Amino acid sequence: MTYVLNRLLSVILTLFLITLVTFAVTNILPGDVAMMIMGTQSNPEALAGLRESLGLNDPLLVQYGHWVGGMISGDWGNSLIFKKPIFELLAQKAAASAIIVAMSMIIALALAVPLGVWAAVHRDKWQDTVSSTSALMGVSLPDFFWGILMILVFARWLGWFPSSGFVDPAENFLGTLRHAFLPSLALGLGLMAHLTRMTRSTMTGILNQEFIRVARAKGLAERTVIWRYALANAIGPVITIAGLQIGYLFGSIIVMESLFGYTGMGWLTYQALLNRDLPLIQSTVFVIAAVVMLTNLAVDLLYVVIDPRIRLG
Amino acid sequence: MKDIVSVDHLRVEFATGDGPVVGVQDVSFTIAPGETLCVVGESGSGKSVTSLSLMRLVEFGGGTITQGALTFMRADGTTLDVTAASSQVMGQVRGNEIGMIFQEPMTALNPVFTIERQLTDGLMLHKGLTQEAASARALDLLKSVRIPEPERRLRQYPHELSGGMRQRVVIAMAMACEPKLLIADEPTTALDVTIQAEILALINRLKRENGMAVLFITHDMAVVAQMADRVVVMYHGRIVETGTVEQIFENPQENYTKALLAAVPKLGEMKGKAAPERMRLIGDEAARAAQTAPKSRKPEVLLQVKNLTTRFPVKGGILRRTVAQVHAVEDVSFTLNVGETLALVGESGCGKSSCGRSILRLIEPTSGEVWIGGRDIGALNHHDLRRARADMQMVFQDPFASLNPYRRLKAQVAEPIQNFGLASGTDLEARVVQLFDRVRLPREFMTRFPHELSGGQRQRAAIARALAVNPKLIVADEAVSALDVSVQAQVLNLMMELQEDLGLSYLFISHDMAVVERIAHHVGVMYLGRIVEIGPRAAVFDNPQHPYTQSLLSAVPIADPRKRRFADDLAFKPITSPIFPLSYQPAKSTYTEIAPGHLVLNA
Repeated sequence: MTYVLNRLLSVILTLFLITLVTFAVTNILPGDVAMMIMGTQSNPEALAGLRESLGLNDPLLVQYGHWVGGMISGDWGNSLIFKKPIFELLAQKAAASAIIVAMSMIIALALAVPLGVWAAVHRDKWQDTVSSTSALMGVSLPDFFWGILMILVFARWLGWFPSSGFVDPAENFLGTLRHAFLPSLALGLGLMAHLTRMTRSTMTGILNQEFIRVARAKGLAERTVIWRYALANAIGPVITIAGLQIGYLFGSIIVMESLFGYTGMGWLTYQALLNRDLPLIQSTVFVIAAVVMLTNLAVDLLYVVIDPRIRLG
Repeated sequence: MKDIVSVDHLRVEFATGDGPVVGVQDVSFTIAPGETLCVVGESGSGKSVTSLSLMRLVEFGGGTITQGALTFMRADGTTLDVTAASSQVMGQVRGNEIGMIFQEPMTALNPVFTIERQLTDGLMLHKGLTQEAASARALDLLKSVRIPEPERRLRQYPHELSGGMRQRVVIAMAMACEPKLLIADEPTTALDVTIQAEILALINRLKRENGMAVLFITHDMAVVAQMADRVVVMYHGRIVETGTVEQIFENPQENYTKALLAAVPKLGEMKGKAAPERMRLIGDEAARAAQTAPKSRKPEVLLQVKNLTTRFPVKGGILRRTVAQVHAVEDVSFTLNVGETLALVGESGCGKSSCGRSILRLIEPTSGEVWIGGRDIGALNHHDLRRARADMQMVFQDPFASLNPYRRLKAQVAEPIQNFGLASGTDLEARVVQLFDRVRLPREFMTRFPHELSGGQRQRAAIARALAVNPKLIVADEAVSALDVSVQAQVLNLMMELQEDLGLSYLFISHDMAVVERIAHHVGVMYLGRIVEIGPRAAVFDNPQHPYTQSLLSAVPIADPRKRRFADDLAFKPITSPIFPLSYQPAKSTYTEIAPGHLVLNA
């Protein structure tokens, strides 16, 4: 219980630091929000008026207070380019991206764990070489290359999946999944490499442990030994690495969603950066940081469930 | 009676990058029901490969049975050709008709499953029991291996149990399906001596009650003497000699067996002898005869330890504050004379290593004084302490870990000399050559790396490194514990020879009472951070007064099959925790002198 409390406290502290950093960074960035809204040719008096009404003339601390207060109450301000409340915009796009992130993680784990186990069981044999070579290929080729390849193979040649676009999950959830599949697969292949290597190395270590020999000496079937006894011990570090990859994924979806015309967080971030939509950038960065933190918290808590040694430690 | 196991000309090979390597060859023996057969040998002798072959587990380690027959009499009376059996049949035999116990209780249990799950899965698999029936049987098993609070243990995870309890669980697991053959591969090597005694007694009782046969693998001749009906001696993958335990110990035929037995110290053999004696080594009689009578030195104090106390903080809570303390070393005082050996003995966690390290200030003691050659070590500043370290060196247990794998031995032995600026250029070269000669390492080893040496050779190199700065005191922390018995004897003799020639003083930290009896001048017995009894070696061994010393000595296996001590169940008092709350004020250590220099801690 103290462990969970400790983790929660550290999450709250980190979230606070994140608000400080995002606020500071967007304030340090050159450029003036008011000028961005009204354009460079605008009337200086109107500009000053807008500045005043946006609170840009207040001391930084007051501005920060307003911003954090707004964040907490759900008033995240309006996007300059979409002319819509940011909160609403982000909620919608984040849901779309969550589908891609989750799907690519599932694909990566579903491929990496069996492949890594397979390599560990047949260590230093041809299976190992096949596994590490394919994992290496996954990681050495950039995501967008996989994306292009997916579009070519599955959309152009086979026609199984749409090559581009997004469907609102509220209208047609299956359609959303179909649109999300190819970008997820492309991302998953890139993720898979690290996870395969991690699975292989932890499994190799576990398979050399005495309790594996004991399990075999008990007469348990080899598949029980590997998939129950060994994997239960090896999966923890793999999940930790998977959790850390969530951050990397949010970086990758910027390219991937734009490539597939999938209008999620990644696409939104790209648009915000391109158009210097400062309020939107601020909120997006905050949301991404928070999501990465919370998923890592979830992973750590999951670890407690998997490994009984942590509960007491 | 028909043999339960018969092994005939077994040969096992391992595939390596450089072609097949023979693990064992031409190994033949039989085991009768109700019999204990001990397979004894030093590391690399092939004893574990033999036992793993019987279960066909050797194939998981890359081994292949290339020749010979392995016959096992199954429960239904049919004989099974183990080499040809399918993996399904082997699955039925493993854990069901043959049980196995392994060396490392700390790693033999799956850390993420409960004890109950690990005890019941075999039962459900082999005996077709329901979950409830299997759980009930698991509870009975834990009771039969005499685990305290068995109901609670079922729901616990391995890390919540002590080493001794874990090994009992492993034994319960092996016994679960009432196998006809129990294979025990070094089952007590990793355990403290009192727990070893309990486990050996437990195996003996279970064997007697169930009439099963036991194949007992060990490197420890004293354990063999205590456990075996018959003995197989192995060396380099072959059987050297086979016989009843009395034949092997009293009338060994082969030179290897003789040498092996000679090198084993027997507890009690030093009775009535005042001075330490070199270890027996066959072919070394000349050297021992040449050994001059121990020089009678005028006692001159080298090391004086006064009220040494070392505590480690236990951190807890959100702010990681110190919430309790481990009282590792608690009010310890003793003196060590020039040219003598003081042995600190005790079981794991008793504080003997922390004591040695506190003396050298490798860990900072909490309080107390340490004087070496009239210098107060505790009062030295960082710079002077560095200088003072030339007088006090340390030899660690695992020479492979204490030597740098990336540097040649020459550089590692020369390093302390250079650090202290004692020699350079050709002088340094000459000094290193001299050190290699001194520890009897061939000079061509100077350019080798640690991995190119055997364990004993590595420990010699570690000793050479410690000697490089002409120390007066060497703290040897389990320095020979990881070595095979014949190598151990050689290294001990080297240490004793160096002591005689150079007047070295040793603080010899060890758990091995038989070795200590042979080589120490004085002995201090440690328990929960305190010295509970200290005195001349003969006084402590021949007339132990503290209850802990007595139980420790009663638990040591004796390398003599006619002095068996582990027939009935044994239950030694478990060692309590040395962790106390911050407010705890321990009493001072006060002693009663029952004979000159022989002190016993007051209760």
